[in-house]
Amino acid sequence: MPRRARWPGREHRLAIETMQEHSIIGRPVPKKDAWLKATGEAKYADDHSLPGMLYGKLLRSPHPHARILHIDTSKAERLPGVRAVATGKDFPGIKYGNLPQTRDYLPLALEKVRYIGDEVAAVAAIDEDMAEEALDLIQVEYEILPAVFDPEEAMQPGAPQLHDHAPDNISSQSAFHFGDADRGFADSDLIQEDIFETQPVKQGMLEPHACIGLWDNTGKITLWASKQSPYVVWRQLAMGLGIEPGKIRLVQTYIGGGFSGGKQEAMPMDFCAVLLSKKSGRPVKFVHTMDEVLTIGHLRHPIKIWLKTGIKKDGTLLAQHCKIIANGGAYSSIGQLSMYIPGAMLNLPYRLPNVKYEAYRIYTNNGFCGAMRGHTLPQICFARDSQLDIIAAKLGVDPIEIRLKNAAQPGEVTPNGFRLTTFGFTECLQRVVEASQWREKHGKLPRYRGIGIGCGSLVSGARLMGHSSSTAEIKVQEDGTVLLVTGSTDVGQGADTVLSMIAAEVLGVQLDDVRFAMVDTDITPVDPGTFSSRVTFWTGNAVKLAAEDARRQLAEIAAQKLEANPEDLIFRDRQVYLRQQPQRGLSFGELVRLAEYRLGRIIMGKGSYTSGEELIDFRTGYGNMSPAYTPSACVVEVEVDPETGQVTVTGIWGAHDCGFPLNPMLVRGQVLGASVMCIGQALYENLIRTQGKVMNPSFRDYKMPLATDVPKLANVEHINIITRDPSGPFGAKEAGEGAATGVIAAVANAVYHATGVRIKSLPISPGKVLFGLKEMQGKGNKPANLVKG
Amino acid sequence: MKHLLPVSLRVNGEPYDLLIPPWRTLLEVLRENLSLTGAKRSCQEGQCGTCTVLIDRKPINSCLYLAVEAQDKEILTIEGLARSAEVLHPLQRAFAERGAIQCGFCTPGLILAAKAFLEENPNPSEDEIRRAVVGHLCRCTGYFQIIEAILAAAREMAGKGAQVGH
Amino acid sequence: MGYLRRLPRFEYLAPRSVVAVCDALAEYPGEARLLAGGTDLILQMRRREVAPRYIIGLKGLSELAFIRPQENGGVTIGAMTTVRTIESSPLIRERYGLLCRTAAEMGSPEIRQSATIGGNLAGALPCADFPPALITLGAQVKLKSQQGERLLPLEEFFLGPEQTVVGPSDLVTEIQLPAPSPLSDGAYVKFHDRHAMDMTTTGVSAFVTLDQERRRFCDVKIALASSAPTPLRAKNAEAALRGQAFTEKAVEKAAALACQEAQPRSSWRASRDLRLELIKSLTKRAIRQAWEKAKAPPDGGRP
Ligand SMILES: Cc1cc2nc3c(=O)[nH]c(=O)nc-3n(C[C@H](O)[C@H](O)[C@H](O)COP(=O)(O)OP(=O)(O)OC[C@H]3O[C@@H](n4cnc5c(N)ncnc54)[C@H](O)[C@@H]3O)c2cc1C
Ligand code: FES
Ligand code: FES
Repeated sequence: MPRRARWPGREHRLAIETMQEHSIIGRPVPKKDAWLKATGEAKYADDHSLPGMLYGKLLRSPHPHARILHIDTSKAERLPGVRAVATGKDFPGIKYGNLPQTRDYLPLALEKVRYIGDEVAAVAAIDEDMAEEALDLIQVEYEILPAVFDPEEAMQPGAPQLHDHAPDNISSQSAFHFGDADRGFADSDLIQEDIFETQPVKQGMLEPHACIGLWDNTGKITLWASKQSPYVVWRQLAMGLGIEPGKIRLVQTYIGGGFSGGKQEAMPMDFCAVLLSKKSGRPVKFVHTMDEVLTIGHLRHPIKIWLKTGIKKDGTLLAQHCKIIANGGAYSSIGQLSMYIPGAMLNLPYRLPNVKYEAYRIYTNNGFCGAMRGHTLPQICFARDSQLDIIAAKLGVDPIEIRLKNAAQPGEVTPNGFRLTTFGFTECLQRVVEASQWREKHGKLPRYRGIGIGCGSLVSGARLMGHSSSTAEIKVQEDGTVLLVTGSTDVGQGADTVLSMIAAEVLGVQLDDVRFAMVDTDITPVDPGTFSSRVTFWTGNAVKLAAEDARRQLAEIAAQKLEANPEDLIFRDRQVYLRQQPQRGLSFGELVRLAEYRLGRIIMGKGSYTSGEELIDFRTGYGNMSPAYTPSACVVEVEVDPETGQVTVTGIWGAHDCGFPLNPMLVRGQVLGASVMCIGQALYENLIRTQGKVMNPSFRDYKMPLATDVPKLANVEHINIITRDPSGPFGAKEAGEGAATGVIAAVANAVYHATGVRIKSLPISPGKVLFGLKEMQGKGNKPANLVKG
Repeated sequence: MKHLLPVSLRVNGEPYDLLIPPWRTLLEVLRENLSLTGAKRSCQEGQCGTCTVLIDRKPINSCLYLAVEAQDKEILTIEGLARSAEVLHPLQRAFAERGAIQCGFCTPGLILAAKAFLEENPNPSEDEIRRAVVGHLCRCTGYFQIIEAILAAAREMAGKGAQVGH
Repeated sequence: MGYLRRLPRFEYLAPRSVVAVCDALAEYPGEARLLAGGTDLILQMRRREVAPRYIIGLKGLSELAFIRPQENGGVTIGAMTTVRTIESSPLIRERYGLLCRTAAEMGSPEIRQSATIGGNLAGALPCADFPPALITLGAQVKLKSQQGERLLPLEEFFLGPEQTVVGPSDLVTEIQLPAPSPLSDGAYVKFHDRHAMDMTTTGVSAFVTLDQERRRFCDVKIALASSAPTPLRAKNAEAALRGQAFTEKAVEKAAALACQEAQPRSSWRASRDLRLELIKSLTKRAIRQAWEKAKAPPDGGRP
């Protein structure tokens, strides 16, 4: 049984209590690069420039589906100031992508364009104005093809086909069955069936995609880019260019927000930057405008979710059957994984013995979908936890009780093989109920105010097809400082700080003594990058091993000098001393100089952490996806304006089992930021597409939450549930995504509680609420908050 | 057509004499001509506030402002805010120390907007702060730690009197 | 796509006086555009909706940046006065609380710092917030050109979305507001999805004058934003209230009439049905709030 201490949610208390045990870990220290960012010194991709640099721009398809008959670039080439032009024919025509089954991208379109925004040509000119003008001069002759935008239409026989390799436009398909769902439904007292729909939403990072490419005359390629998974880009670049990865050097810049999407993959701009550099002999920079960013895709999948749940009278969940159809857009991105996740995690954080799942990801002539913070879990949690409230109301049980009753427990194995090592879900529920004063509020708030709960779960990094391992190197410098080299990136989530904290803790140096290297594929070790909440867990473990390796080397030398056993040495506060006789020791700096100067032993530690052999089988859905899982519970309070339908979130309380918060201030920032993102999806955000055209490719109309849309500080709390996962570094698990997965359902449930209107399609817009209320008034129904239960 | 106009800008106290086309925005000139990349280019529509700089102590979206129209005005960018590398502005410190900075792309604009705001309202309520930063998107933090940082900086600045920073 | 580009080339002129502006407009008829705060025009140029050969910059024209009390008790506002200046002017706050509050709810502090009242009117976006408020205040607009001056009621200023009576050689110079009558005040209520920054889905301004006993509406003006191709006076709604006591029934009736007068359209931003619901709710709210404010003793209820 893992230890489940009852920590007060307050950061400082936690800090004080863990200080005895650790000197660095557990403290709410500021992010290492915060000062550089506060002064404007941190250089993001668009802030870099190279001598002689050219500026690139991409020509995009104005048609949702068309055959390219001819491209005439001659006029553009003749425009003074234009140095190079590229089309799809300049590339070897090799499709690239994430997984072998999903390789359907080309650097630039060859025969066909498949959505409005598909890249068809690129130019490099001496400035951006000139590059834009050159695009106007490229003439493309298209044969317009019939297009299809709705996934259900696209699955019909006779529908326009996007890709030759994908009959019926099925981009990916999953079907699993665990336990015996038919039996589960037969044994159920109540069967509930609903259809939920989610909308396309966007990462919304403020930094647009940007890169600088250089192809030098030795054939060496360098790409400076804003990439959260540089090695994925590195591999994909090599694939699409048809060359060895060894010829490519990818250098990461500061990253202005990621949240997956294009910063995780090679994009046409990356290919074109290097290719146009080859053609022109100059470095070439590309920066997307925000309307390009919002048009091209990498969206969170809009999904239609049919969910059927069987339950006993006492509230025990027996079976679930879920079918989903996702509008995948024109390309695959990471689509296969996107479809696996909702089925594999349909049950969590609940105990559910029988699950049946069918998923279809369908190609349509829209901007494509991929991963975004939480991947496909916020969608499925919205459906499942909304339905759980519908069921609770029908059974007359409290929404909290039904969740407590079915809460999965540590030590359990889910039907599809997830092993829950630590899993403080029950405690999440208990604590969030206290913090939100649920019992005083539920069923008792005045009219048009409501409270709702939503829960979710996440992985601490997914085991994916072999290249999941993370590696770290520790170089101990002769001045006693430490250089930490990993293949992981900081996108703002705090990897630079947390990984450095782990190294500092193990080596007993100060956090400031550790320098965190940014990724440069010539120097740093290969790594999958930042996604799936894997960095703290995976790279963190690698860093811990590397630091322990360096410490072991140093301990040997210290032991000789101090005539002691290496095992008896303590590394702390820049000192190395004997556990029993703290006065016998030397400073870390002295020890390093002794090792490196006197003995000539250069101290370098290395550590790798890998997933082990367990891989998921995408076809059966069976396998233990992650080394650790995190549950979370979130309560949201809303106020609804009955005359306009506007929903205001007035409070949010969350509890999340992150194992152990290595830096509670950063954990709080992750959790709150992710929660507000989900408030955005619940209430405001929607990338509206009409006949494949994005109507709102602008932050004016793609409405992300503002400071005025979030609750007062007094009504916001995040509680860390401490379970100390045995395999996480210092007990830590995921903290960047999981805590927010239940937020959308919590908002939907709170709106229901406030108004009696059950909204099953996102976003919960004023119109839906207002007309829902009118319909109810027509029927003479009372708001749910006046009815207990 | 006259393509280039002479423009004199005062940026962070330094005089710059430039010859620029009139269709350049202040943001473009700061970033491309003066290499002051602290002001960021994001939405280019006045929506996100990453490009905010102060003109005569007031915040504007430099993406919507022609550089030629900043002639003779006093421009402050994030690069000019700290008194020295050692002495940061209380807002910079509060942002850094209180978790208000994650990816940091929104930070320069927010800090400058907050500075102008605190000059007008040195003792703001939480709600007034929210309304003062509606022109700034932050996708990372959810704003809570930003609001806390501005409150903390306001307290510190009020405590130390008006001389702190600029 | 290609939706947001760098600015097109233009020649920049910065006349030093109103007369010089009129001369410049006359010299390049149809080829020149006035640039005030630029919060609208720069975006239109980026999207290549317009690409004028000449840009006439008005920022340096201090002649048009003023708020001036008139002897008759009214106030004149220069076209280049920024939203921020209007929001923070004690004179405006005292005499036209409605305008001050409307200004304070527009855009962001950054936008308000640049955006001007002249640009807000001349830009004629159907969702602009000043027009309804100013129309209910009885504002008049002064236009100038080489040919001379014209003064016209703001109501007659708008012709369609982004279309006004301002001709290619005209300049809006000032907005004149009549002296507020005692026992009058107004409210502008707008709705958009988020709590700030959005384009107004629906906006309603109501300005009411009470009788001596503060029991009846002596005069009422109601104007709507985003409810028709131009800012719209809801005259039937006004008439229904005039002379009436304040009752929920009277307010309901006025709101229903406003809905009949409005011609909102469906777009991907909002459906016609939703806009009609909003017009109804917001009209009621605006009237109620205006009534409360007008009823309150001077200084008592005003911010
Ligand atoms: C982020 C953002 C938020 C916004 N929020 C709001 C809001 O809440 N409410 C609202 O109403 N608007 C809003 N707007 C729109 C815009 O800011 C306003 O309409 C503003 O008042 C326009 O004024 P300007 O001085 O910037 O006009 P400009 O952009 O300079 O000009 C607009 C038009 O008017 C013409 N023009 C300007 N001055 C004159 C003159 N004196 N005589 C004749 N023609 C002239 C110009 O040629 C141009 O066609 C917002 C805009 C942005 C970018
Ligand atoms: S870049 Fe200027 S406001 Fe977004
Ligand atoms: S810190 Fe990333 S956008 Fe604010």
